Amino acid sequence: MDLQFFEIIPKSGPLFVGALYTIFVGLVACGVGVLVGTGLLLMRNSRFWLLRIFVGIYGSFIRGTPALVQILVFYYALAPLTGINIGPFTAGIMAVGFNSGAYVAEILRGGLSRISKGQWEAAEALGLPKHKVWFKVVLPQVFNSVIPLLVNEFTMVIKITPLLSTITLVELTRASQMLYNETFRPVEVLLLAAFIYFVICFSISQFGEHLQRRSQKFRL
Amino acid sequence: MIFDYGAIWDNRDILVGGVFNTLLISCIAIPIGIFVGMAICLMRISKQRLLRWPAIVYIELMRNIPLLILIFMMFYALPFYGVRVSGLTTGIICLSIYGSAYFAEVFRGGVESVSKGQFDAARALGLKYGFYMRRVILPQLYTYVYPPGTNIALTMIKESSLLSMITVAELTYAAHDINGRTFTPVETFATIAVIYWVICTLFLKFAQMLQSRSDPNDSSTSMVFR
Repeated sequence: MDLQFFEIIPKSGPLFVGALYTIFVGLVACGVGVLVGTGLLLMRNSRFWLLRIFVGIYGSFIRGTPALVQILVFYYALAPLTGINIGPFTAGIMAVGFNSGAYVAEILRGGLSRISKGQWEAAEALGLPKHKVWFKVVLPQVFNSVIPLLVNEFTMVIKITPLLSTITLVELTRASQMLYNETFRPVEVLLLAAFIYFVICFSISQFGEHLQRRSQKFRL
Repeated sequence: MIFDYGAIWDNRDILVGGVFNTLLISCIAIPIGIFVGMAICLMRISKQRLLRWPAIVYIELMRNIPLLILIFMMFYALPFYGVRVSGLTTGIICLSIYGSAYFAEVFRGGVESVSKGQFDAARALGLKYGFYMRRVILPQLYTYVYPPGTNIALTMIKESSLLSMITVAELTYAAHDINGRTFTPVETFATIAVIYWVICTLFLKFAQMLQSRSDPNDSSTSMVFR
């Protein structure tokens, strides 16, 4: 029972295309996640209690259901419910993005709690309108302090993207499934896929830790 | 759009079986994950390089490879090497392995949060390693480890949904099954989402109730785990 990598390595081109697609999907989904997370943060701090309650329910639902189920709900339920026929790509990006948004909101909340009260008071004393206080004073500082955590969130998103193979998105996992259906060498193909995932996630998380160390150095 | 919840009610026995299997998988995989994680953590914090390095490699591998890839790999590799086990067993093994790496990191974080003076004092008293780890350090871990540990257990319950991909008949698989019979995707997937939500919320409330005896606050601080 030997592993025969030589058989699959010449055919592994689709895997690398899939890996690039995984990174692309991850980036787009992460962008959606940051937008949703920022929106949730603003809603959480809004005057209207209905919005605040909505954020609570949203977070609880995202935390309390598996990402796989969220993706399936988005893919199978959104089209019949709304009448909009969205493809697997849009459905997948939205599902992963909305999932990530709840966690990004949590990260941003942590960053927000570190903003000193003086910033709010100074902005108010200068007579800045509410939206300028948020978008010009507070949010830039929040984002600056949570960048390492957001990089970490990106690895989390990359680790959810294999689930998108269930809705026929040809990313790394789907590409490897197609390859081993063709070559009948599942173990080798999956080891190679695992290696690619490891390289992607490990390098991003090391980069995040590097940023974290650097930001700590500057804060002292 | 007319919702047909009758289709789900007619197939309720499949859903009940799915819920039962999901709970069964979680109830077996989480304790195994905790115990293996504890062992990995002890290796990780040991001063022996031969123990420490394998633990580091194990943790980094498990944390950087998606669970789905691990599940597929086990599913195909075990029969390839002549080990014939059911999908359920494969799934439980994968989930435990996966969880143990995260639990190991949580335990390590806990051990590092215990103040250095405790270790020094224990050694100064001449206590043996095994004894002071068990009787001095371990009881103090509880407050540091409990909130993130709860989150990881919760994650494992949710990740058990991935086992549907290797035909383990848990809740998500049951949904696919019902969907295949009745073709009511909206209702089925919405229903299992609610069921998962109820399971996770009850688990979280139960865990918080147990914790509140010792430490009532900070259980929501570490929600960044998935």
